[in-house]
Amino acid sequence: MTPIPNTPGIGLRLAHLAEMVATCPRAGWLEIHPENFLANPHAAELLVELSANYPISVHTVGISVGSAGSIDRWHLKRIRGLADRIKPIFVSGHLAWSTYRNEYLNDLLPLPYTEETLRLVAAHIDEVQNTLGRPYLIENPASYVTFQFSTMNEADFLAEIVLRTGCQLLCDVSNVVVSAHNMGFDPHQYIDDFPSHAIAEMHLGGFTPEEDEATPGSEVWIDTHAAAIDRRSWDLYAYTLQRFGAKPTLIEWDNELPSLPALLREAAYAEEIARAIPMETGHASAH
Amino acid sequence: MPALTEIQFRFRNAVIDGDSGPVAPVLVGGRNPQKRLAIHRRNYETGLVDALLLKFPATRWLIGTPLVIEAARQFIRRHPPQAPCIAEYGAAFPDFLSKCAGAERLPYLRDFAELEWLVGQVAIAIDATPVDPEEFSKADPKTLPDVRLTLQNGLRYLNASWPVENLLKLYLAETVPDQLELVPASAWIEVRGARGEFQLNGLDVASFTFRKCVSEGCTLGEAAERALDADADFDPGQALAALIANRFVTAVRQTAEDKFHDRL
Repeated sequence: MTPIPNTPGIGLRLAHLAEMVATCPRAGWLEIHPENFLANPHAAELLVELSANYPISVHTVGISVGSAGSIDRWHLKRIRGLADRIKPIFVSGHLAWSTYRNEYLNDLLPLPYTEETLRLVAAHIDEVQNTLGRPYLIENPASYVTFQFSTMNEADFLAEIVLRTGCQLLCDVSNVVVSAHNMGFDPHQYIDDFPSHAIAEMHLGGFTPEEDEATPGSEVWIDTHAAAIDRRSWDLYAYTLQRFGAKPTLIEWDNELPSLPALLREAAYAEEIARAIPMETGHASAH
Repeated sequence: MPALTEIQFRFRNAVIDGDSGPVAPVLVGGRNPQKRLAIHRRNYETGLVDALLLKFPATRWLIGTPLVIEAARQFIRRHPPQAPCIAEYGAAFPDFLSKCAGAERLPYLRDFAELEWLVGQVAIAIDATPVDPEEFSKADPKTLPDVRLTLQNGLRYLNASWPVENLLKLYLAETVPDQLELVPASAWIEVRGARGEFQLNGLDVASFTFRKCVSEGCTLGEAAERALDADADFDPGQALAALIANRFVTAVRQTAEDKFHDRL
């Protein structure tokens, strides 16, 4: 089995695929969206080639564990097929929904945090894990709206999901920064409450501030993955490392892609931050 | 408290149809959460429209990006994706585009966009190992009419009413002639590609019919019959030999469960 890397990885997008194959730059690991490769046999072939040189993580965007209807079993089987070929170190997805009946809404949509949602998401994660034959990692979302009738907060919801399914968590630090700004909560408190024992991976990605039409005169931050990682994300990342210790970390950049070396520099910076922090895994530090 | 399925139905209507009124009262987010729903609506639209624009650069060259964008915006509302692999989304776009306002002045638009879609499909294919020609030479000719072939994934067949392959070649050559007169004429086009490469082969009607039928799963006998309907001089033996020589055949199977390979 491929060892879990300590060096930060990068999200691999199709635009960088040929260059990665040709140059094999130093990178801890690569994370892909399987939806981009399942429909592209040529890209999948190159990915299999890369998997001989890099640990690969599979980050799904289309499984939709939060859909009120059933999950797409055909899609899930295709992901299993790809996973069998590249032997990923992680398979992850989102605490969100993206399909309504047979329509795919091409976005990660929010869920109310209620007992009904818990039961549904837990059942779907069970099905995913049974099909994949491995633990699934669930990522905390970037939020622009939440639901008035939620009966628990996000961290408690995630902790309960872990308890019911045995899944692991992907802590997206930048999503915490974005959601905290948009929904008005303390990002450090969120990290403090996060079920740290289940974290298997962390994400960092860029966001884009824009005028908030919902609250004129203020900004809403959009999780675009179209920019360099913001200082506030780096700061919260350092805080998270201090709280929870080192975790495999990945740089996500999906839109307005930089050059591959620029992307790798972001990963190198994450490594620099991690090295500078005295690790006390499992011990909380004062905020 | 509405059930989750009801919430998601309302959310779906906000994202796809722009009807955000029914879901807004249960949301939190800024002073006016309804406005925040525009972010999700935009994520849906931008991602899908951009995906379609990436798949149809030649069509944009032909009719202009604004018309394609407007058609794409309408398309994604009326035909949401049915699966999460967006690379597979857009097969119905050429037909939809050709019926949009502004497209009527270009009667060859549907064929052109369809050809571009097929080129995109074959360019991401990979070749499988072809069946060894030696094995065919040992086959019992009596069994051949019942045989079905699997062809390379990177093969598509388009019967166009206009010679759109010539137009696409102009785009690929980055050539803009002073004047181009396009007249209606049937074109039987074989689109062949793999691993980022592709080529367009003009076929005669009988060869086209034969290859298309074989690619769609007809037996060799059925395919030959239809090709002979198109041209009485068609030679099935030669046509089969050409498929084999071009390394197009990747698997051979009998109509019944038994494998042709087992008999060779």
